[in-house]
Amino acid sequence: MLLNPANRDPAARGRLIGALATLVILWPLFQAAEVKPGALFDSGNLKVIGNFLAAFLPPETGAEFLGYLAKATLETLAIATAGMALAFLIAVPMAYLATGAGREKPTLNPITRSLLTILRGIPELVWALVFVRVFGLGPAAGVLALGLTYGGMLAKVYAEILESVDAAPARALRHSGASRLLAILYGLIPQASKELASYTVYRWECAIRASVVMGFVGAGGLGQLMDQAMKMLNGGEAATILLTFMGLVFSADGLSGWLRRALDTPPANHASPFGWRSIGLLVTLFASIVASFQLLDIGFGELFSAEAAHSIGEFIAGFFPPDLSAEWLAKVAKGIWETLAISVVGTLLAAIAGLLLALPKWRAPFSFILNSLRSVPELVWATITALAVGLGPFAGALALALHTAGVLGRLYAEALDNAPPTPGKALRLAGAPGGFAFLYGTLPGAAPQLIAYTLYRWEMNIRMAAILGFVGAGGLGQLLYFELSLFHHAQASTVIMAMLLLSIAVDQASAWLRQRMR
Amino acid sequence: MSFSSLRRAALKGAVACAFAASISAALPALASDAVLRVSAIPDEAPTELQRKFAPLGKYLEAQTGMKVIFTPVSDYAAVVESLATKKIDLAWLGGFTFVQAKIRTNGTAIPIAQREEDAKFTSKFITADPSIKSLADLKGKTFAFGAPSSTSGSLMPRFFLQQAGLNPEKDFKNVAFSGAHDATVAFVAAGKAEAGVLNASVWDKMVEAKKVDTDKVRVFATTPPYFDYNWTVRGDLDPVIIKKLTDAFLKLDPANPEHKEILALQRAAKFIPTKKENYDGIEKAAHSAGLLK
Repeated sequence: MLLNPANRDPAARGRLIGALATLVILWPLFQAAEVKPGALFDSGNLKVIGNFLAAFLPPETGAEFLGYLAKATLETLAIATAGMALAFLIAVPMAYLATGAGREKPTLNPITRSLLTILRGIPELVWALVFVRVFGLGPAAGVLALGLTYGGMLAKVYAEILESVDAAPARALRHSGASRLLAILYGLIPQASKELASYTVYRWECAIRASVVMGFVGAGGLGQLMDQAMKMLNGGEAATILLTFMGLVFSADGLSGWLRRALDTPPANHASPFGWRSIGLLVTLFASIVASFQLLDIGFGELFSAEAAHSIGEFIAGFFPPDLSAEWLAKVAKGIWETLAISVVGTLLAAIAGLLLALPKWRAPFSFILNSLRSVPELVWATITALAVGLGPFAGALALALHTAGVLGRLYAEALDNAPPTPGKALRLAGAPGGFAFLYGTLPGAAPQLIAYTLYRWEMNIRMAAILGFVGAGGLGQLLYFELSLFHHAQASTVIMAMLLLSIAVDQASAWLRQRMR
Repeated sequence: MSFSSLRRAALKGAVACAFAASISAALPALASDAVLRVSAIPDEAPTELQRKFAPLGKYLEAQTGMKVIFTPVSDYAAVVESLATKKIDLAWLGGFTFVQAKIRTNGTAIPIAQREEDAKFTSKFITADPSIKSLADLKGKTFAFGAPSSTSGSLMPRFFLQQAGLNPEKDFKNVAFSGAHDATVAFVAAGKAEAGVLNASVWDKMVEAKKVDTDKVRVFATTPPYFDYNWTVRGDLDPVIIKKLTDAFLKLDPANPEHKEILALQRAAKFIPTKKENYDGIEKAAHSAGLLK
């Protein structure tokens, strides 16, 4: 039947070639990621994991440990809040400089734009690792790292939001003689306010997750405790920390959802814009930022003394010139290849798993699985997958896959829900079995969205893959950790540049692919 | 809740930052007199380090008349960097971290005392894999070091591996850094790495405390002896305080029950004087293993 030209899929040849080309490109990446599914089912490995997971029960509840835990939780919250406050301070002027909004000609400021790219392109964990060295022990490093990366991200998104709203009011203001600042304030921000506020709140939620991860390099908080517990394979402690962490993420999620919904309700109909609710919110925000800085006790005076400036200068000078010897570049190139492989394999596996988890009609249990998968950070998954398949890139790819499957599964489920239902229904009415109706009716409608989500996630995963090496997953992260430990700053700076270039290249590739798939 | 309230909130947040920053900047200046700030390379879990240090800290307070504050960290290089930037006064360093500190401080860091045991320290290679019987069997296996800048968990084993004709990056299948000696044991016991290497003192302690199943994990090679750990002060610390600290360490006497507890926690028979030259061998090894450039 397939040989009958009339019945053949007209796109078959193109698809076959596409599939083959993809295989040819992916094969070496799978090789580099050392994918060996067999290791997952090796009885020895299964026993090790079983023992470790069995040790999760009962979770540790000793008073001394809970004391540490409470302190670390507060510290994590404070790092996230203080870091966001700093990010906001950085983002507002940068966004003003970078955005084309409110300008006569929509010219973009290339210098600020590239500065923002650098701020965002270097993962916060790398900033933290560097700052721990410059500013010494404690959470100052985490706050500054968050401030810089998130400052860069906020500034970029603020700039884009301001560009995306209707420019007419601002233009009118400019033409009647208002300065650019005022035109933006009164012409653009009122339209964009909700989106700006909503994105800021969402980022704060991300900052909590990120501040946990930064603890892994010694920036304090829950991550530091988690790192210790995971390294020592202390299941009971790990379980308690994980539960606390999940609780924290879920409540931050809830709080930010509530805030965003509150932004959607129209203001009450009275003259003053201030109701008791906004005053309460103001006081809370103000108090929590002050409390955060107090709790963390960051000696800003010490950080910005002449002596500190001197040592920072010396430290940074050590990074220049980067080591560009052929021998070192070859090593870095291998690291880049491995990191790329981890990100691609991780994202692909996640896409498959996420799709499978997004399909079932009865959502409740699967939503729970997806939420649990994504609330555990990649670095924590990596410690567990390293037990399952041994150290190396495959462990990193699996860790990425597990976390990302949670994220993608949720997004996929929403996209499939929103896909036009008619083609699938029509096929089913015409007698096609459910599977075919889905494959040829529903899936094509949702596919562009699914692919876009996956590519976006790949952009984030390349940054994550670059740092998974800190826990033994190979790639650029391991190189960086090693060289920084040994004060080989010239080599470390080559690695940081490689991370930056790789993340920019992946952003470009993903944007190109998204455009092609449209 | 309107937009303007959010904007104002954000502005107030900014003011609060500046306010909080000025407060927190003023605080340390008030209390920086007569405080001895101490840290240690995190070669074991930080909670364990704090437990170990508590009685020694009290003893040093009594001996120097200063308030002693111990800051645990999770990163070796951070301790070196803090000593170089004068954020800490006294640090427990490994042989290699001492060499790094010496270089970072242009030779001013002063080692004041070491344990008797540190003059002839060794590292143990461990495995849970029956097929590994000698260093040569490590080819093609996954291997766990401690922290990259650990003397007994990375540098010296690497040096001796090199002398045995093995290059970890080329000959091992995968190299991981567990970060701490007790974590290396956990890695090997769990099969996360097929073999690993750690400091002999921590291994003995874990065996004594039955924290490791010696039927499963066994030592298959030991390095020749070398100089390791010491207590180091930053060079520009008041010489009177340096003298007091040095005397305090050397005075610890195993016959005194109170001192005995301190020494036992430090796993030291007693403390002996040390000097920079003791670590020249480590510096050479670090150059030859490519860890110093």
